[in-house]
Amino acid sequence: MKKSSSNNKSPRVVLNLKNIVKTYVSGNTSFNALDDVDVQIKEGEFVSITGPSGSGKSTLMHIIGLLDLPTSGQVILEDRDISRLKEHELAQIRNVTLGFVFQQFNLLPKTSALENVLLPLLYSDIDKTLHKQKGIDMLTKVGLLDKLKNTPAQLSGGQQQRVAIARALINNPKIILADEPTGNLDSRSGKEVMKFFHYLHEKEGRTIVLVTHDMELANQAKRKIVIRDGKIYSQ
Amino acid sequence: MKIKPSLSDLLNSSFRSILKNKGRTLLTSLGIIIGVSSVILLTSIGNGLKSYVSDQFETLGANTIFVSPGMIFSEGGRFNQGAEQFLSLSFDKKDISNLSRNFRSDTIIPLSQTSAEVKALNKTLRSISIIGTTDDYGQEGNATPDPKNGRWFSAEESAKGSKVAILGSNVATDLFGNVNPLGRKIIIKGKTLKVIGIANQQGSSFGGQPVDDYIYVPLDIVHSLSGNEDINSIQIKTPSKDEVPQRKLEIEEVLLDRYEKDTFTVFDSSQLLSSINNIISVLTVALTGIAAISLIVGGIGIMNIMLVTVSERTREIGLRKAIGAYPRAILVQFLIEATILSGIGGIIGILLGTLGSLAINNFFPTNVTLQSVILAFGVSAIVGIVFGVAPARKASKLSPIEALRYE
Ligand SMILES: Nc1ncnc2c1ncn2[C@@H]1O[C@H](COP(=O)(O)OP(=O)(O)O)[C@@H](O)[C@H]1O
Ligand SMILES: [Mg+2]
Repeated sequence: MKKSSSNNKSPRVVLNLKNIVKTYVSGNTSFNALDDVDVQIKEGEFVSITGPSGSGKSTLMHIIGLLDLPTSGQVILEDRDISRLKEHELAQIRNVTLGFVFQQFNLLPKTSALENVLLPLLYSDIDKTLHKQKGIDMLTKVGLLDKLKNTPAQLSGGQQQRVAIARALINNPKIILADEPTGNLDSRSGKEVMKFFHYLHEKEGRTIVLVTHDMELANQAKRKIVIRDGKIYSQ
Repeated sequence: MKIKPSLSDLLNSSFRSILKNKGRTLLTSLGIIIGVSSVILLTSIGNGLKSYVSDQFETLGANTIFVSPGMIFSEGGRFNQGAEQFLSLSFDKKDISNLSRNFRSDTIIPLSQTSAEVKALNKTLRSISIIGTTDDYGQEGNATPDPKNGRWFSAEESAKGSKVAILGSNVATDLFGNVNPLGRKIIIKGKTLKVIGIANQQGSSFGGQPVDDYIYVPLDIVHSLSGNEDINSIQIKTPSKDEVPQRKLEIEEVLLDRYEKDTFTVFDSSQLLSSINNIISVLTVALTGIAAISLIVGGIGIMNIMLVTVSERTREIGLRKAIGAYPRAILVQFLIEATILSGIGGIIGILLGTLGSLAINNFFPTNVTLQSVILAFGVSAIVGIVFGVAPARKASKLSPIEALRYE
């Protein structure tokens, strides 16, 4: 990973969202969860997206993460307009460029920590003989070397989220997207997770997008995007 | 494009997910297990029946030609179902001498049959079939007694029409019970005959010859019992089976001098065998078809469970998609799971079917062929794929967001 860019040269924009509208239709009423949103995120930035519950944070993160397509507007990821891409190409970008951390952890039950961490590699081009060692390295990095074989049910919430972070990192993604990653954790585990995001940002130069309704956490980011009723309030 | 994940990864993870739910796996596969085992069982019975029948016909002799009144076979070699086969044509001694004169190297055996009341000691049996024939019939190993059970009648006894009889083993016990019938008298329509032999027990012979229920006597005895000189059928033994095809034509030619075409049939055991095999095949296919319906029911069971599995694992599918599984990877994963489920059902079904057919083999001939095993396994795998498609497609089309949000 590259170190954070120097100050004299402005880092390039990795994610550029223009005029994003996301409309949900139910019955004959339609509702704009995102209403003409413009967001730019530069390489190596630590950005938080915050706002009250229901304001559209998750919707925005899903569009940033290519998990959902906007009703209108443009998403440009690393200079590629993703509206032109097929579903399997989107899947490949999610696999290689993005790493997701969810509030719910979303680990596979009855499956060991190591196998959970290795899951993204199943869909990657990385040589199979390297998989296991990578998984072990990644779990070591999040401090769970002694829990390789534990299933999620045998791990605490904080440990589960660390497994999920290791899974997000296994493919060495440029961008980490986290949606309320501490929402299901006690404050101590939450702090550990936040510390780890800071480490990934400062020491590894990764781009981090943190979605949270918690102002205190949002303020820890280098830049804060506030969203209200589907519109950007400040950024 | 390289397949991701690799097939071995997919198989590996499918097997593990199946092993995590052993109970579900077994229940899901039950339909396939029942379908495959019944297919195996029924085809093995059909095959066993076929080889049993050909064994039976082997004992008839491949060098035997039969001449019967009526048209026995229809076009295409099947048994004739019309009444023509029972045409009341009969042959006579002149035919026998004609045939003997033309084919000196062959053995010509006339057969006449009548039915009569038979008395012995203080027992009476009604309508017993009496077969009149020559010494040659016994010489050729038909209904011949073991030496300890007496003997067949001699050429001289045959020629003179001596009053001797060989009893089928059932008739012997029915008439005499525990008493040894050898040397004793039986009375048929006032004629007293001496029992000189008891035919070997044949068991229930396929092809309608309950040898054990017959009494065998010289031809002239039957003629005097029935009051006519009819010969109902003729058997011709050629020196070897190589002459059979040519000889059949020649025999037909000889008989055509005195009888109309299509009023009699000249045939050999292979024709008979193939006709009977025909019937068995049709039966086997019909029964197997019925069993195959349960395979389809089994397939629907698998589809059902796979649909449940897809909704149970909606979050897993959403997660896999979020971290980079493209739709086809999900599709293939669930297809493989369905195929493995039905494949496991197929293997268990093959084992059960084979065991069942081995058990049945103790009292009925069965024969599990490699073909039927391959067929049953192939069909069950195809059932898995066909009925796995709908659930797998459903899984592959889930939107990652909605799938992840699924409770
Ligand atoms: N699939 C959906 N269908 C209809 N409305 C939705 C759907 N997803 C989200 N919404 C609505 O869009 C708004 C924004 O939701 P969300 O982005 O989840 O908010 P946040 O993450 O900020 O709490 C909410 O009012 C929510 O009810
Ligand atoms: Mg949210």
